[in-house]
Amino acid sequence: MKFSRQAAPRRAARVVVAGWLACAASIALAGISDLPTPASLGREIFFDTSLSASGRMACSTCHDPAFAHAPANALSVQLGGENLDVPGFRAVPSLRYVNFSLPFFFQADGTPTGGLTRDGSAATLVDQARTPLLAAHEMANVDVATVVDKLGLSEYAEDFRVLFGSDIFSKPDTAFLAALYSLSAYELSASEFHPFSSKYDLFLRGQIMLSEQELRGYVLFNRPDKGNCADCHPSTRQSDGTPPVFTDYTYDNLGVPRNPEIPANADLTYFDMGLCGPYRADLAAQNQFCGQFKVPTLRNVVTRQAIFHNGYFHTLRKAIQFYVQRDTNADKWYPLDADGVPQKFDDIPFPLDRNVNTAEAPYNRQPGDAPALSDTEIDDVIAFLGTLEDGYDPVTDTADPARDMPPPPAD
Amino acid sequence: MAELARARWLLPLGLLALPAFHAAYATQYMSVGEAQKAAFADAGEFRAMPPLDAAVASDLGAPGWSPQMFEARAGDQRLGWLIIDRVIGKAELITYALALDSAGTVKSLEILDYRETHGGEVRLPAWRKQFVGKTAQEPVRIDNDIKNISGATLSSRHITEGVHRLLQLHERVLRAG
Amino acid sequence: MRHKPIALAVFAACCATTSMAHADDAQLKSEVEALRAELAALKSEVAQMHAERHTPAIAAAPAASAPATGTAPGSVAAPAAVTTVADAGPGMPNRGIPLTESTTLWGYGQLDYNRPTAHAADAVADLTRAVIGFNHVFDENTRVYGELEWEHAVTSSEDSGESEVEQLYVEHSLSQNYGLRAGLMLIPLGLLNEHHEPTQYYGVERNFVEQAIIPTTWREGGVAGYGTTDFGLSWNVGITTGPDLGKWDPTSDEGRATPLGSIHQELQLAKAHDPSVFGAVNWQGIPGLQVGGGVFSGKIGQDTSKQTTGDPNTAFFPADDARLLLGEAHVRWQPGPFDFSALYSRGTISDTRALNLSFIGQPTPVPKSFWGGYVQGAWRALTWAESSLVPFARYEMFNTGASYAAQPFGLGTPALPTERVWTVGANYYLNPNVVFKIDYQDFKYDDISLGYGNRFDLGLGYQF
Repeated sequence: MKFSRQAAPRRAARVVVAGWLACAASIALAGISDLPTPASLGREIFFDTSLSASGRMACSTCHDPAFAHAPANALSVQLGGENLDVPGFRAVPSLRYVNFSLPFFFQADGTPTGGLTRDGSAATLVDQARTPLLAAHEMANVDVATVVDKLGLSEYAEDFRVLFGSDIFSKPDTAFLAALYSLSAYELSASEFHPFSSKYDLFLRGQIMLSEQELRGYVLFNRPDKGNCADCHPSTRQSDGTPPVFTDYTYDNLGVPRNPEIPANADLTYFDMGLCGPYRADLAAQNQFCGQFKVPTLRNVVTRQAIFHNGYFHTLRKAIQFYVQRDTNADKWYPLDADGVPQKFDDIPFPLDRNVNTAEAPYNRQPGDAPALSDTEIDDVIAFLGTLEDGYDPVTDTADPARDMPPPPAD
Repeated sequence: MAELARARWLLPLGLLALPAFHAAYATQYMSVGEAQKAAFADAGEFRAMPPLDAAVASDLGAPGWSPQMFEARAGDQRLGWLIIDRVIGKAELITYALALDSAGTVKSLEILDYRETHGGEVRLPAWRKQFVGKTAQEPVRIDNDIKNISGATLSSRHITEGVHRLLQLHERVLRAG
Repeated sequence: MRHKPIALAVFAACCATTSMAHADDAQLKSEVEALRAELAALKSEVAQMHAERHTPAIAAAPAASAPATGTAPGSVAAPAAVTTVADAGPGMPNRGIPLTESTTLWGYGQLDYNRPTAHAADAVADLTRAVIGFNHVFDENTRVYGELEWEHAVTSSEDSGESEVEQLYVEHSLSQNYGLRAGLMLIPLGLLNEHHEPTQYYGVERNFVEQAIIPTTWREGGVAGYGTTDFGLSWNVGITTGPDLGKWDPTSDEGRATPLGSIHQELQLAKAHDPSVFGAVNWQGIPGLQVGGGVFSGKIGQDTSKQTTGDPNTAFFPADDARLLLGEAHVRWQPGPFDFSALYSRGTISDTRALNLSFIGQPTPVPKSFWGGYVQGAWRALTWAESSLVPFARYEMFNTGASYAAQPFGLGTPALPTERVWTVGANYYLNPNVVFKIDYQDFKYDDISLGYGNRFDLGLGYQF
């Protein structure tokens, strides 16, 4: 690393200038605060609990900024509906860095890539925002008109009229679309969704050094013969200099164990198979994709309390152990049959279990092999993943995704 | 600092442009007259010879070929011949002058004009000297008794073939005349 | 059509006559003689052309324009129009291109078959490259020279082929001995880079050193001066664009196959903050012997972190000042039917530590040094008229990751092992411009991802 002495005063000067600019910007913003933008309107909607049937659920309930825009609790699936007692089907993903997401497409070799939500069924953030407002297990509005009525009664209804016309609420479909668009504009533009303020970002910028354990973990994370994590969670900056988002937006089938904490799983004939359904319909016939879910970003993964699409794991350590011991110690992860043989890949019906990735490291092992990572190596990888948490403070060497988040709009 | 940064590209570019001032004084070619004098300093007269008979040209494998031939004389004595010919290098013509003494032995080979972007090494005196003393009885073949020039393969090959042809021409036409 | 150049030539001859007004009388006389002879030759040729309209070998000389003003007194214009055949020796095919225009086309191509002996299923047949080159003469001192290449037969977004401009430069000669070039030029390092036609080298594939260390075909955009001296020294110096370290992909094998080849820019919207310089010399004062070498140096960090294309708040590049230094020395000696050559090249990249720290654990960090060398011997064993058989053997050693910048806590990357390759085979020249090749290559270390593994190769190459 290069820490030149001359750079220090320059950096200090930069901080001063930045501070001054921030002051100037906030003064300017205060001056024009009566001029709403779609993003400022989207922010109001994002935090508005009055838009739900329960009156207690906003977007920010499950996408809590203080938890890196993911749930604050450890439930595998969140509860919604009129009384907040209807369970969902999948773990809620973080919305951080969602602005870098790609539209869904197939690569030249047929690899499905991009799209929003766990199965890529939402092409854009506008599409994605539609679902939770209407889903029975989420905000549970009966129809679009109900949502628009609530918007019309909100404190920011006037912003709506300024932006989209004074008669906007007389056209429910247009008004609903305008709300979705505003949410999308907020998520795409607001820096709170992509702060790049982690310890790793400071490290990439050459401003700080990782600890020995974190660096060791970084090596293990990258090494193709060890964690091989970077194969799907790229850790290098993009060609235009943008820091890595730690996902390549592809899909994979990891054979995550069936999660009894999801009430829907009580039905033994029910299987959530990601790309091929049942929620996504267009690829239902593409059997080879059954069981594939989108690779998520690993930024802020240490704040996750329900990991993988079904939220089966509640600690990062368990999740990483599963990665490296799934095939070497299958009995730790799957139910045993009468003969004591582990029934691998119990959340995918036969014969689609053949789709599970068993080719790439660290899954390319046999019972009896040493896992790709030892327990101490897992400690190192976890230490490294800790550096991906936003809101890093070099003075205390701690991170907090809520740090530097602007306060939610006042009610 | 900014000026230095600009100088990073401009200064070397400027240096490269310096030879342009020299261009006006550069000798561009060896002319036919200069080639004549260089090869036969004692000659009093260079007698232009009539064009090559078309049948002979065809016979030498080159229909339509018509090199420019001079007989070098001092009084009534024939000193030899100077033949100006052209071959293709890779894409463009190379003009050269082959001087033969009265016995038909190569006296000198001069490149009068070489303009191509690569292969200019055929102008090197050391390479051209290989031809001095050659006669029609010798192979005069590249990679045989004439060494090629790596990096100027085509030019050296084609000039060698040209000299070979001129020696055959001497054998067929000039010696008898 | 074909008469036009002749008419121009006659006109040019007249111009030349006028321009000789200041030449001394004796010379003038001989020049007039010369021109008379030329005119006679032209007349006979015109007559002959009427008779033999279909003879392909006739080549009218391009119209030579009058000499540039400012020519020193005493020097006279070139003979304006000496007609000749393009080139045809007794017993040799006419390879004359009717040179009736000032634009000439040329080309070369190569088809290969590689069969790894341990993985025969990986055998590949490929139309490796097809190249069309052109040379256009603007005036007697100025020309443009270009080379257009198609690799792997089919080029589209869904095919593996590439379509590229390999050279494109304007050259202006300031004298017979030196001149200037500007444009996209081949870097004059090594034996192959500037002379990479398949007839010019032994073996189906180009040698590894001049692919892995010197990234043949390596070209950059810029300006250069070149020249030759009478004692056999040719030189070439220039200032050009350089590679872009920002393109380094630590997850790819390419940087291990050819460090510079993986980051060259090929003048494709090339980052050009920092110029590179090169210099090369060759001495050929003894026929059959070539001794030379060259150096290329430039900052390849290109001040990437200060570019405005990325987000200035987050984009960062920790190797803005990285510098490439590549040196090379070679010798080639061709006594009689033998052809011996040897080449050594070594490169270093500075300031890679911080960049590699951000890549730590990735398979392909940026090397601090890389090198390679080979010795090769060939023997023109058999010759039949135009054909010849040339068996050869080559031994190469190279290492694309000879050392890496040290990293904290001993987490740096160890040096790669030095690869050693024996190649034995033969070139069979059907004629000097068409070659069939066969060889066997033996690798010390197999590396499937780089295609290193003992193999048997067949090839066909041509040049015109």
